[in-house]
Amino acid sequence: MSDKNRICKNPRQRKKMSASKAIYPILAMAGMLFFYGSGVLKPALASEPAVNCNAHEGVCSLPLGDLEVTLEISPRPVKAMQDLVFKVSITNHVSANPPYIDLGMPGMKMGPNRVLLESTGQDTYEGKGVIVRCPSGRRTWFADVIVPGSGAVKFVFDVIY
Amino acid sequence: MSFIDPIYLIFLTTGITVGFGHCIGMCGPIVVSLSLNTGEQNPILPHLLYSAGRVMTYTILGGIMGATGSFTSVAVHIEGIQRGVMVFAGLLIVIMGLAMSGWIPLRKVFGDYCNPGGIISRGFRRLSQLKSRAAYFPIGLLLGLLPCGPVYTALLAAAGVGMKSPDGLEGIIKGMAVMFFFGIGTVPALFLVAKLADMGWLKNRRIIYRVAAMLMIAVGVYFVVKAITY
Repeated sequence: MSDKNRICKNPRQRKKMSASKAIYPILAMAGMLFFYGSGVLKPALASEPAVNCNAHEGVCSLPLGDLEVTLEISPRPVKAMQDLVFKVSITNHVSANPPYIDLGMPGMKMGPNRVLLESTGQDTYEGKGVIVRCPSGRRTWFADVIVPGSGAVKFVFDVIY
Repeated sequence: MSFIDPIYLIFLTTGITVGFGHCIGMCGPIVVSLSLNTGEQNPILPHLLYSAGRVMTYTILGGIMGATGSFTSVAVHIEGIQRGVMVFAGLLIVIMGLAMSGWIPLRKVFGDYCNPGGIISRGFRRLSQLKSRAAYFPIGLLLGLLPCGPVYTALLAAAGVGMKSPDGLEGIIKGMAVMFFFGIGTVPALFLVAKLADMGWLKNRRIIYRVAAMLMIAVGVYFVVKAITY
């Protein structure tokens, strides 16, 4: 039997498609709900951290115990998929170890994306990094600024795709 | 020149963890769609070939990132290709969904009446009747280019190790290694999807089957729309 006949001239067989294959689209549906649910609907959940920094406007500041941590990302507006410079300054910072930044998306695993900072003066640090693009369309990112010996602060901001 | 670096283990682990989230969501529908037409009792080999193709694409991209040491300069150049791949993946899912639903006699339209020897008919038949195991490898190669946040992050790391490498060759090898381990890490999740699909624990439920087929078509349309607006 030719390939064409096998494909086109056996409608009864086509209708009797193996019912066991029902699991395939069910899994597709589950995957879709998992991915798009986690990617699109989660921002509406109360557990998501709220945006606390308008990175497009300039410097953002947050307290960390007795310290004050400021973050500036340039160039502005802050866009994904381009080289960015992260500047951090910490008031009264005495640790010998420089801070560093972990970038990520709230509620979505994006893999480790760490920006190492180097001292550029008293209490000021700078490093280069990239915020990648998420095909889900979500634009909210966070930058955890980790200050060794003191803890971490989370800057949550929107980026432009 | 030392090639032992904890970053490989980190990205192997990353691949495993994101595999059960991102990859099942992004590639799961594709894997499921491809599975529909395997006609295989054991789907392991086709999915192994699909994953091998995908991991190979990741590895090649890692080598390019490692060679250039710049994520953004490469990412700009592959963005258009990625959009095209996303459209292709969406259309693939839609065609598979329509073909299996039986609502629209696509096989008659494209296969019997509309120039059976033409490009459209041949292309449709190949997409909807992927019986050949070998076809899964090039599909994996192509779909490895799908835009994906964690893949971007791994590529960023590959560019990073390339930038730190003293010479170009070491950068290429290390970049490839980062992406190879990341890709290998994503395989178990998709294999699990394939294995679960093979269990066939939903028998004789045609209504569910058809509703789910419709959702599968919706996923394909979503892929195409996302590609256009990406």
